[in-house]
Amino acid sequence: MKNILVLILLLGSAPLSAQTLLSGQVADRKGNALPGANVLLKGTYDGATSDTLGRFSFVTFGKDSASLQVSYVGYESFERRFVLRGKPQTFTVRLEESASELNTVVITAGSFEASDEKRMTMLKPLDIVTTAGGGADITAVMQLLPGAQRVGEQSGLFVRGGSGQESKVVIDGMIVQNPFFSAVPDVQQRGRFNPFMFKGTAFSTGGYSAQYGQALSSILSLSTSDYASNNGLGVSLNLANAGLNYDLADEKQSLSVVGYYGNLKPLFALVKQNVEWTREPEFTGSSLTYRLKTSKTGLLKAYGMYSNSRLGMITQAPLDDETRTGIKLSNCNAFTTSTYTDSFAEGKWRLLSGFSYSYNRDETTFDGSNFGGSDERIQGRAVITRVFEKNNTLLFGTEVHRINLKTAFNDQGYALHDNYAAVFAETEIYLSRKLAGRVGLRSEYSSRLNRFNLAPRLSFAYKTGEHSQVSLAAGRFYQNPDYRYLYKNPDLNFERADHLILNYQRIKDKRTFRIEGFYKNYAQLVREFTGQPGSLPRFDANPYRFPWGQTNNGGNGYAQGFDVFWRDQQTIKNFDYWITYSYVDTKRLFEQFQQAATPTFVSNHNASLITKKWFEKITTSANFTYSYTSGRPYYNPNRGDGPNDNFLADRTPPVHNLSFSASKIMTIKNNFTILYLTVDNLLNTRNVFTYRYTPDGQTRYAVGPQSYRSFFVGMQIMLSKKATVISSDL
Amino acid sequence: MKGCGNTLPAYCLILSSFHSFLLSSLKSNASLNSQPTNPMKKLLTITVALFLSVNFLFGQNEKYTAAMTEAVKDFSVSENKEPNQAEWQALANRFERIATAEPKEWLPRYYATYAYSTLAFFGKNITEKDQMVDKAEALLKEAFAIAGENSELMLLDAQVHQARMLADPQSRYQSEGPLFEASLKKAEALGPDNPRVYLMKGSNLYYTPEQFGGGKKVAKPILEKAVEKFATFRAAGLLFPNWGQGQAGYMLAQASK
Repeated sequence: MKNILVLILLLGSAPLSAQTLLSGQVADRKGNALPGANVLLKGTYDGATSDTLGRFSFVTFGKDSASLQVSYVGYESFERRFVLRGKPQTFTVRLEESASELNTVVITAGSFEASDEKRMTMLKPLDIVTTAGGGADITAVMQLLPGAQRVGEQSGLFVRGGSGQESKVVIDGMIVQNPFFSAVPDVQQRGRFNPFMFKGTAFSTGGYSAQYGQALSSILSLSTSDYASNNGLGVSLNLANAGLNYDLADEKQSLSVVGYYGNLKPLFALVKQNVEWTREPEFTGSSLTYRLKTSKTGLLKAYGMYSNSRLGMITQAPLDDETRTGIKLSNCNAFTTSTYTDSFAEGKWRLLSGFSYSYNRDETTFDGSNFGGSDERIQGRAVITRVFEKNNTLLFGTEVHRINLKTAFNDQGYALHDNYAAVFAETEIYLSRKLAGRVGLRSEYSSRLNRFNLAPRLSFAYKTGEHSQVSLAAGRFYQNPDYRYLYKNPDLNFERADHLILNYQRIKDKRTFRIEGFYKNYAQLVREFTGQPGSLPRFDANPYRFPWGQTNNGGNGYAQGFDVFWRDQQTIKNFDYWITYSYVDTKRLFEQFQQAATPTFVSNHNASLITKKWFEKITTSANFTYSYTSGRPYYNPNRGDGPNDNFLADRTPPVHNLSFSASKIMTIKNNFTILYLTVDNLLNTRNVFTYRYTPDGQTRYAVGPQSYRSFFVGMQIMLSKKATVISSDL
Repeated sequence: MKGCGNTLPAYCLILSSFHSFLLSSLKSNASLNSQPTNPMKKLLTITVALFLSVNFLFGQNEKYTAAMTEAVKDFSVSENKEPNQAEWQALANRFERIATAEPKEWLPRYYATYAYSTLAFFGKNITEKDQMVDKAEALLKEAFAIAGENSELMLLDAQVHQARMLADPQSRYQSEGPLFEASLKKAEALGPDNPRVYLMKGSNLYYTPEQFGGGKKVAKPILEKAVEKFATFRAAGLLFPNWGQGQAGYMLAQASK
């Protein structure tokens, strides 16, 4: 009996095979020890965690063939098959780093991204909203970035020596026909869109992807956010407008509705205007955003906006009552865009499709004569991407637009239609973790021009060190000439620009340094000949004139320069600042120019300093922005415009602007509230944007900002009672 | 001042990161024992035969229970004090080894996910934090596939969203915040008596700044409820999640100051 008991005990508790000691060391490719790695024998419980020197040892009761597996977060898993012989065995394990944003190169030449999702970005969308002097207007803040120029009296983005026409705003891949409020003479208009609609902003200063076209200089690409918050009702009140917004969201879908009414009369009563208003701007608007998750991977987003506005003003050359003109503008704008994105076969294929419609009507009169017009654009877009391993991609896409334009000039009406189509293909390849390349080809057709074009694009990036990289971009870019020329001359060709861009950037520990150099060559620019038989052509400096002369594509030009960007969020606690400097040297022969000259919208030096500081105890943020813009050329009729005269040789004085903004977060009777204050042109600098001359050429007068020192206050209240995680979405 | 349109400048704040664990309340887990009895010779032979065959069948299960019991015991110790990176990595590895050997068990994956969501706080930059959260997410996905949605797993889901958000709070507030809330809500619906639901709600409110609707005053009643629920809670099994009583007590004391 005793023997059986012993046998039972032996059989029940003792293993049938011998135990083996397995040990070794885990290290990376360079031999540095990896502590905390998980070492295990496949199919068993046996294993260990590596110590601070990367060493491990454990005992196994397994037999015969076995597989040793080692895993460590951030590294590729390791597996080795071997045979258990009963004798101790040692292993030297070397792990390979997995590809991550930190060790993989990113193509950045010519591109400045503000994104929540990508790591190697210079800005976050939050940065746009909190920058002083930006007024939470995306394009105003883009003007503080390297490569952009500030042209105080005109709307649009002026990039690296290019005009406002050479930059396009794109939302979710689709061109926005009217991104700014309608222009009135010498008053810069802000963008129509609320920056909080967007999860990402990519400001390209050239060399952009084959997916986009029709912009000789740059693309501002905005991506709408995929989520909405469940905030309930919010009220917004400030010196310009009053608005309501209502958000509703559940797991599958969300809806946001916004409505506002604005009237600038009270603000203009407080802030002295340099413009003579007969009717201060009054506007109403509403927008709706709907998102639906159609499946685990599918997302449908639809956005619609409608707004209208009215204003009246008087312009005149000072002391010259003959040029006194009354302008009235009544505008209505409807814009809708929807996109559907999805992925298939576990992320191998991605689809992006979009549709957009916009209609804009301006009823503009100058002393009763009709100078209005309307724009209509319908477009569809589809892009299919095939994703290969190691993040290599190949995409194909197409877009089709129908554009209808009408304009009137001094009661004379013009109309044109354009069917525009483009196809493009692009591949992005990671030749190694350190070297990536993107090659693309785009082809466009415009029915109004009745021509095709073919535009190759190329960019590369090479990772020079752990935190730095070098990037290059080159390509050909085409654009339809300004539609004002096309009304009279349908035989024009595309305008063209070739870009070459090289940049170096280093991002380490929340400090960013970036320097970029560029060269642009312009060709096929439109030239206009205003000479009458028997007399020399006279340059007409009126920026709002209708081009009536003979036109051809005989113009050309160049632009070259560099810009520098430095940002530091680390050195001082809760303090963030960035400095940019841009230099551009450019001349072109285009429009009415009889000789190559620097255009009037160009300033050779642009610099800005932006600072932001957060005060934790009083939950307040205070931000300053200082911007410097060197003098711009202006036309002096007393110099003459022939080839030997000093055409556009005069320069305006430089423009300085120091602005301040502050915002405070608090709760009023349990309602989450934000108060904000901005002061623009703190030093009340009498800035001059350009000079004009009276028709007799004798008197020069300055064109400056709408107001000098100005201020603005407002508040936003969330009436929702939600106590847990709240996202502020205005 | 430019021509006005929709002027709505906006704001988003940094959520102060939280997760300070303190103080003790050790839980002891009973260990399973079995002793063969001493029958008469015939009975002995039959019992021996049965014992040997059954031992073979349940040998694996015993192994699982033994390993898990030890690991869960160490988990409770680590969970009740200031987190130590090496300890949590070792725990994560242990649970993951058990999980790899037992593809049908959700509990080792539960604890491994918890460990990785804690390890995310030690990441030196956003990428390292995200790598830990990626690991936590992958393990949680496996757990969901095995056990379906239950209160503990939904709570863990909320915890993972929170870790994801805290890797880059300023930017992810808007996207991860609602996901965290939704999971927490579901956890409560699936387990209205689960004390950890109230602990998570309460601690989240405790660390949310007052301006955002949080703070000690708002958190206190929720934490009181958590402490109540802990007193009466009975876990479904010895290996089932049973942590947090110490945390809840400590936090309530802090909120009452």
